Amino acid sequence: MTLCSRRDFIKGLAAGSALALTPLPLLGAEETPRTLAIARWQGEALGEATLDAAAGRLTERAIAALGGMGRFVTKGDRVWVKPNIGWNRSPAQAANTHPAVVGALVRLCLEAGAKSVRVGDHTCHEPRQTYATSGIAAAVAAAGGEMVTLDPARCRRVALGGKRLKEWELFPEILEADLVINAPIAKHHGLSRTTACMKNYMGVVGGNRSVWHQDFATCLVDITAFLKPRLCVLDATRVLLRHGPQGGNLEDVATPGLVAAGADIVALDALAAELIGLAPAELPVLKAGVAAGLGSLDYRAQAGAELAVS
Amino acid sequence: MTARGRARRLIWLRRGVQAASLALFVGLLLAMRPPESGAPSPRLGFYFHLDPLLLVGAWLGGERLAGPALLALATLALTVLLGRVFCGWLCPLGALHNALSWLGWRSAARRRETDGLSRWQRAKYWLLVALLVMAVGGAHWTGVFDPQSLLYRSLTTGLLPGLDWGISAGAAAIFQADPQLGPLHLTALSEPLYRFWRDALLAGREFVFAGGGLILALLLALLALNLWRPRFWCRYLCPLGALLGACAGRTALRLTPTGTCGACQRCLLRCPAAAQPEKPGQWLPEECFGCWNCVASCGEDALDFRWQWPWRRPAAARVDLGRRALVGAGLAGLGALLVFKLPPSARAKTFGPELIRPPGALAEGDFLARCVQCGLCMQVCPTGALQPAIDQAGLAGLWTPVLVPRLGYCEHGCALCGQVCPTGAIAPLALAEKQALSIGLATIDTTRCLPYVYGRECIVCEEHCPVPTKAIYFVETEVTLRGGERRVLKQPRVEPTLCTGCGICETKCPFADRAAIRVTSANESRHPANQPLLPGGTESVGSNPYGA
Ligand code: SF4
Ligand code: SF4
Repeated sequence: MTLCSRRDFIKGLAAGSALALTPLPLLGAEETPRTLAIARWQGEALGEATLDAAAGRLTERAIAALGGMGRFVTKGDRVWVKPNIGWNRSPAQAANTHPAVVGALVRLCLEAGAKSVRVGDHTCHEPRQTYATSGIAAAVAAAGGEMVTLDPARCRRVALGGKRLKEWELFPEILEADLVINAPIAKHHGLSRTTACMKNYMGVVGGNRSVWHQDFATCLVDITAFLKPRLCVLDATRVLLRHGPQGGNLEDVATPGLVAAGADIVALDALAAELIGLAPAELPVLKAGVAAGLGSLDYRAQAGAELAVS
Repeated sequence: MTARGRARRLIWLRRGVQAASLALFVGLLLAMRPPESGAPSPRLGFYFHLDPLLLVGAWLGGERLAGPALLALATLALTVLLGRVFCGWLCPLGALHNALSWLGWRSAARRRETDGLSRWQRAKYWLLVALLVMAVGGAHWTGVFDPQSLLYRSLTTGLLPGLDWGISAGAAAIFQADPQLGPLHLTALSEPLYRFWRDALLAGREFVFAGGGLILALLLALLALNLWRPRFWCRYLCPLGALLGACAGRTALRLTPTGTCGACQRCLLRCPAAAQPEKPGQWLPEECFGCWNCVASCGEDALDFRWQWPWRRPAAARVDLGRRALVGAGLAGLGALLVFKLPPSARAKTFGPELIRPPGALAEGDFLARCVQCGLCMQVCPTGALQPAIDQAGLAGLWTPVLVPRLGYCEHGCALCGQVCPTGAIAPLALAEKQALSIGLATIDTTRCLPYVYGRECIVCEEHCPVPTKAIYFVETEVTLRGGERRVLKQPRVEPTLCTGCGICETKCPFADRAAIRVTSANESRHPANQPLLPGGTESVGSNPYGA
């Protein structure tokens, strides 16, 4: 078993971000970059037909407001986009990230010069069916990215140095990527009550991950602290209000028409919680995130005015 | 051209056809996978539709003859006209035996004196009679011996998992060790090959089948017997061969003496069927595979296949089946039938908790009368949930499909098994119909379940429950921990009117040994007698004792 030390890993990350933060003339961003951007759909009513285009535009707008994908992707990077593709459910059922959000991210990364953009998740249901039903496989292929089926036998045991998780099996694809874009959908969850960015990292690990439920907050903080998120994109074009995380009933789905992006994972998760109708300050995972210094609950202070997209 | 020269060419043609048939069989098997959308093509069951033994068995079991299965009538017509050419040219299992026999020729050569017609070649007819008697009585063991079923089942549950184990374990070991030859990583070669195997050939499924080793061992043993007697299985045991043989007695294409036999016995040596080509006028059409080896081996050009019009006249020689033996076989079939029907479960007096059948499976009696143990459903199931029964369904249900939730679960968005089953043992259901059925009921083991006994959060089962309104719910309960500290925990409960018995809760429960939530066959829609619950919800009796 190969142990990849945390220090090596973070060193790599730091080098990557130093490069990424160097101002580039090619940014093409039309405003002072924000650290957190919330783009909300203000155009015609969102339905099955309009949502595809809207989700893509919202994603582009949110990323542009952060200063463009060029701030995160350096030419030649290998990018891993990590949507939530947990369940064999259709996009309308709001159990997985909207395919148009994933497609837009793949396209933006490639335009920013990424060498490869690979997409995958450790699905809960059978991966092939799940990739296909979620619509993400088709969207990624159309955008020029590559869908990868993760293989638990390829996991590496990695020192996480967390409070609960001293070490765990991680997929090598995650460890080898220059940039991991965390792109979940906002949903209700029976145990943690909401699932968004932090919970989405459950899909980068193998092993008997279902034991994490016994101390969700600490485990999610541990993995987040290890992965040091640089870009999270929250898909709230549709959200699942009840019977999460896999839903199935269209009555449980609302359509806020919103995409948010930034590096503050706690702030984005707080936004997700509010969209589900929960008070962020009462959620154990978010409280633990704040206590561990992973971010702040006050997403409004960071985001400023919402960006209207139509 | 001499008869011998023509026969030599025909033999090459035959080898080509046999290889193609085997390749087609394997190709159709690999193509039997969950499609991106819709149902798999019915053509994937081609070999099962071609097989008259399964047709006759299903018909005796009370099924209507339908659709593509009528292809089997074409096989019968072919046999009546040309003899057992199906065995000699088309049968994929026959092709495998043929290839192995070829290796065995030399050892057979040493036994040339003893390798002629044996009385035991009649055993296959007896087996056929016994199986058909059983089929009439509704115990379908035809598929245990039918060559198409046997080969498909062995490849699916034995050979593919074995290969997969070897390839995956090998590739994973290379990946983890990452050996380098100079600047070259071995993984640059092994990983793409492995991905091709996993993604393109296995369609991403992990093949693990309980008891598959024994199924494979049986196939290998049958193949090994070719080294002792060429085409041992086809000669002595195959009930399909027997059925075809029974139709071949008046074939129009007959081995005919065309010169003076020098009694060199070369044809005897080359005949894989022991059909007596070496005895002019004594050739047995029921045994002959139509392989043309005898004609090609005859140094005197004294043998050839000739059309014999009118073919209504039977061939000179016939296999004497022995009337007493036939009656004995029939009685043996009856005896086996009795043994199968004796256990209380066979008469729906008891229900095996582990006898969870795929969704759409007919009630047990009808199911057993139809299922031919072919394994198509096991091959297509995307989660590997369907396993060949060992003892769950009694002797009568050997190798019929059961769902083993520890190994896989019934995917909510899937109804494939019923769509591929060639016999209707599993009814073809639309997805909505399938989702409305239940195949069992989940039970929580409150002596293991974490929130009940270990003071910990969990409800992984609730998270995975695919029923849109959740058949698993939880009740927040205050528990006292060891130090006296109190904690409110979410304890899972099952709502029996919603549970479909899909088993994903049992698959995903963090206990890796015996899950703390387990599915049994209770509540299965197919059996009115296995229903512990008064129909309807709990509302009508006042308050729900579990407070939904
Ligand atoms: S319906 Fe269920 S048991 Fe049948 S193939 Fe699909 S997942 Fe397997
Ligand atoms: S249930 Fe149907 S598909 Fe499955 S083994 Fe039996 S006959 Fe074959």
